[in-house]
Amino acid sequence: MTAAASSTGPMHRWPAKRVVEVVAVVALVAFVLWARARIHGLSEETQATNPIIRWEYLFKRQRTPGELWTRGKQHLELTVVPVAIGLGLSSVLAAIGLRFRWLLAPIFTFAGFLYTIPSLALFAVLVTYNSNWTSAVIALTTYTLLIITRNIVEGIDGVPQAALDAADGLGMNRLQRLAKVEIPLALPVILTGVRVATVTTVGLVGISAVIQLGGLAYLIFDGFNRSFTTELVVGSVGMILLAIALDLVLRGAEWAVTPWARRTVR
Amino acid sequence: MTSLIAATSAEPTNAWQWLTDSSTREISHSIPHNLWLTIEHAGGGALIAVAVGVPLALVLAHYRKAEVLSAWIVNLGRVIPTITILAVFVVASLRNGYGFAPWPIIFALALLALPPVFANTYTAIRQVPADAVGSARAMGFGEHQIMTNVELPLALPLIMAGIRVAVTQVVATEALGALFGSEGLGIYISYGLSVSDIYQVQGGAILVAGTAMAADVVLGLVARAVVPTGMRRSGRRALRTPRWRALTTGPVVHP
Repeated sequence: MTAAASSTGPMHRWPAKRVVEVVAVVALVAFVLWARARIHGLSEETQATNPIIRWEYLFKRQRTPGELWTRGKQHLELTVVPVAIGLGLSSVLAAIGLRFRWLLAPIFTFAGFLYTIPSLALFAVLVTYNSNWTSAVIALTTYTLLIITRNIVEGIDGVPQAALDAADGLGMNRLQRLAKVEIPLALPVILTGVRVATVTTVGLVGISAVIQLGGLAYLIFDGFNRSFTTELVVGSVGMILLAIALDLVLRGAEWAVTPWARRTVR
Repeated sequence: MTSLIAATSAEPTNAWQWLTDSSTREISHSIPHNLWLTIEHAGGGALIAVAVGVPLALVLAHYRKAEVLSAWIVNLGRVIPTITILAVFVVASLRNGYGFAPWPIIFALALLALPPVFANTYTAIRQVPADAVGSARAMGFGEHQIMTNVELPLALPLIMAGIRVAVTQVVATEALGALFGSEGLGIYISYGLSVSDIYQVQGGAILVAGTAMAADVVLGLVARAVVPTGMRRSGRRALRTPRWRALTTGPVVHP
């Protein structure tokens, strides 16, 4: 079907992005199958050669699935909770900034200042006054503020004047206009901000390993400290897959809440 | 390395005393020494990233090539964890006998700085008005001349904004190198956390954060200095564009 479609014209050709995604997924599946096939050839001798990946850690060790589940769950919690809190705080900040325009510059300067603080320093200072969990959530929330606030403001600002006029013409009050016109139209940009913040946070959670958290990144540090590269690779790949999965979920949400964007394509 | 930890004559009673009184510090190398190491690592990494990223993006953007790559490189840089890159480089370096520092750290930081530098330069070149390029071509400019004499100067404010973001990020990340066997200012935080020394951790955090912010300010001044005089007036708005705008410009916010 694709071969026939591609010959009809440029309209039906697959975009380059789709090709990249499909190739990535196929490569991943092939890699997993290859890895599963390889494990049968393992013996005591392969242990002595110190390979980069020891497949028995992943497929034969009894405790591995449990550990991965615990660490992954912690990683997910440390990502979702700060982003959710950050979304709430950013909404308030953006609302204040949109209502009182002159406050917009100070808000962004402050958020930008917070964004410049190195994560290691922030975790380290907060942990001297708070519990590990609290300081991780505070620090990670801090880094989401700039991205989400900015996208909320840009999204609401980008709503076409014609839509606002139409809403006013229908007799909506300010609150109705915000809820029924401005927020739905700004939603793609806002969700993009949430998505970028989420993917960034997945990476930053790793640094909370210095305060005994870290989720999957614990494996990276543990693998590094013990020169056990398998753990390092497993932790890294886990973090990358988590980031991609959350990215896809939020892209799906973006697609689901903007039915009008789909209709115009036809 | 054997004498990294020195015996202290006094226990610090607060972070300020730890910062000012060297007899309370346990790491034997002085703060200026570690500051210099940080500058060396971060500066080296940033220089490599700029030397590779800016010319590459300039040429690719001029010929309108690799548009998908320029949109994806930032997402790619975001998805791959910083600590993975650091750990992989240090492990590879150790396995080949090059030690913990400075090369693995410098190359890891260069790789981290590359996406923002490349993507911002690419976007900046693409945003150069077609009129300017067209009139330069009509006056007989060659492609090389257009790139270096028209596109580069006109794009410079945005390019500098990207470099500024990258450098701040690199200085902040350099501190993480201490967790992977390097020295530098991050060593106070990592060592302080390992021995639960609150004041050392706080003092180290002040040093790391201060260095990152100082780098930000310095790069702001450099940006002001290198933008050509002809651009000053029209480029003022772009120059004053705050950091937060450069963080998410171009392909990132509206994919």
